[in-house]
Amino acid sequence: MEAADNQPKIEIKDVSFDYVDKKSSFGALHNVSLSIREGEFICILGASGCGKTTLLSLLSGLNKPKSGEVLLDGKPIKGPGIDRAVVFQQYSLFPWLTVKGNVLFGIRQSGRRLRRKERNEIADSLIEKVGLASAKDRYPSQLSGGMQQRVAVARALALESDVLLLDEPFGAIDPKLRLELQELVSKLVSDFKKTVVFITHDIDEAILLADRIVVMEPGAIKSIHKVRLPHPRVREELSGTEEYERLHRQLITAFYDQVEDRIDAGVTL
Amino acid sequence: MKKFFKLERGMYVELGIATLLLIANIIMTLTFPYYSIHKRYYESNAYIVVLVGSYAIYLFYLFLAKKKSTNDIAVVLYGFFALWEVSYKLGWIHNDLLIPSPEGLFHVFIEKRPEIVKDVIGSVQLLFWGFLLAATLGTILGLLAGWIPRVREVLLPVSNVITLIPPLMFSAYMIMLLKTFRQAAIAVIFFAVFWPTFQGTVMRVGQIDRKVIEAARTMGVGTLGMLGKVIFPYCLPGIIGSISKSLRGAFMCLSGAEMLGINLGIGFFIEKYKSFADFRCVLAGIVTVGFITTVIDLLVNKIERFVIKWEK
Repeated sequence: MEAADNQPKIEIKDVSFDYVDKKSSFGALHNVSLSIREGEFICILGASGCGKTTLLSLLSGLNKPKSGEVLLDGKPIKGPGIDRAVVFQQYSLFPWLTVKGNVLFGIRQSGRRLRRKERNEIADSLIEKVGLASAKDRYPSQLSGGMQQRVAVARALALESDVLLLDEPFGAIDPKLRLELQELVSKLVSDFKKTVVFITHDIDEAILLADRIVVMEPGAIKSIHKVRLPHPRVREELSGTEEYERLHRQLITAFYDQVEDRIDAGVTL
Repeated sequence: MKKFFKLERGMYVELGIATLLLIANIIMTLTFPYYSIHKRYYESNAYIVVLVGSYAIYLFYLFLAKKKSTNDIAVVLYGFFALWEVSYKLGWIHNDLLIPSPEGLFHVFIEKRPEIVKDVIGSVQLLFWGFLLAATLGTILGLLAGWIPRVREVLLPVSNVITLIPPLMFSAYMIMLLKTFRQAAIAVIFFAVFWPTFQGTVMRVGQIDRKVIEAARTMGVGTLGMLGKVIFPYCLPGIIGSISKSLRGAFMCLSGAEMLGINLGIGFFIEKYKSFADFRCVLAGIVTVGFITTVIDLLVNKIERFVIKWEK
């Protein structure tokens, strides 16, 4: 039990969720509990279909839990809101707006009273932070997948929310670019001091970014691992250190046990 | 400048043929005045303006757009004009009441200019109002029906039946039902534009990516904001697309409605001279309809290209 003055930023209490289909209901989450401190970077690691995206949709408010509750600053989450910014896997940009238009959309939605000039300045600085200054007048269809995700990150930052939720944001991007984007997110998040929930199926990505790694098995949390590595982390320096090797082994065991269990149980992945 | 004149050799040959045909045409027109069956002589000014004007447009497209087909079209067009002209000069056609000479046909635009201008303005005004009303209502209802399933399930089956009925069929009834010809004509255009716009918008709303909607929701966009800030801009190219298709049909419907009894507009012009058996004017009216339809089409295409630029 945590002290009252040390209230968690996000608290997931005994949450269950089902996807109700026409024929059957598929249990996606069973009695999941997790509390996240302010400013913490949480990675949720799991194979596809284990309910990690469902968990994020409960945090974003796009879905409501069937039982239990999700609290933000001690208050239950009622629906989507600008106090939590979300970055989706892909194709979530507004295709009719330019890069700058997308970021400006976020700034307008943030509800801050700003003059046009101020909005433009904020948009330009965010676009520069994600390294897209030269592409700010292009439309999403003219950008590569990696560039699109940079815009999505800038648009999420434009909301100026305390909480950032990322749903496998770099899952569809080739490894070399992914590394760049991971470093970008790691830097931006420590600059902006956000509470982050980051979903991934990539163990190295989780170790590089997270303060704590939550490994999921279908419908539940399997284990939680604290990452005791100093920030900022650089991938080349990490591999080989004792802590990294230990953590990596632990995660692989936790991650693949669960996959083997499911193969044994005849579940299609 | 060098780049400007750079054309393939074959294109110069065709350009030469088209130019020769044009010059031959002008010489024939000027040197052998033609007298109609009633010994009436038509000035050839209008015809020569058309020939020279179309030649200017042809050169413009040839050198700027550099399309090969432009040449082919020009050769066919001037060949046709030359044949038409020669048929008269050599006396192959005797009765110019049914088939007017080119000079006679284009002279209508000088002779009856105030009337044609008035009728064209009348038609375009009717088209504008009917179109504005239909496009606005069609878009708003289409967005609502696309976004709210219950509205869609009521309106879509209805629209599927109604779009199959040619809008012109309503017009005879509309002329009886509504007080003025003007209202009747606007109603006919409304029917021609409203349903295609409505259906096009509903379909387009259905195509929007769920991720885009979810992203907007997580950014705090509410239901009304969703329609105005997200769904409408996303649908705009689709709406313009269906409008450009229905606009052509609308103008045809309008001309048809005017011929059925509306005493205004270019369709009325054609109908009036048909009853005088003045087929020279009838043909000139038809040429005018073709010209206006083309201009409207070009304008809509320009708008479409501007709005659609974010799509691949």
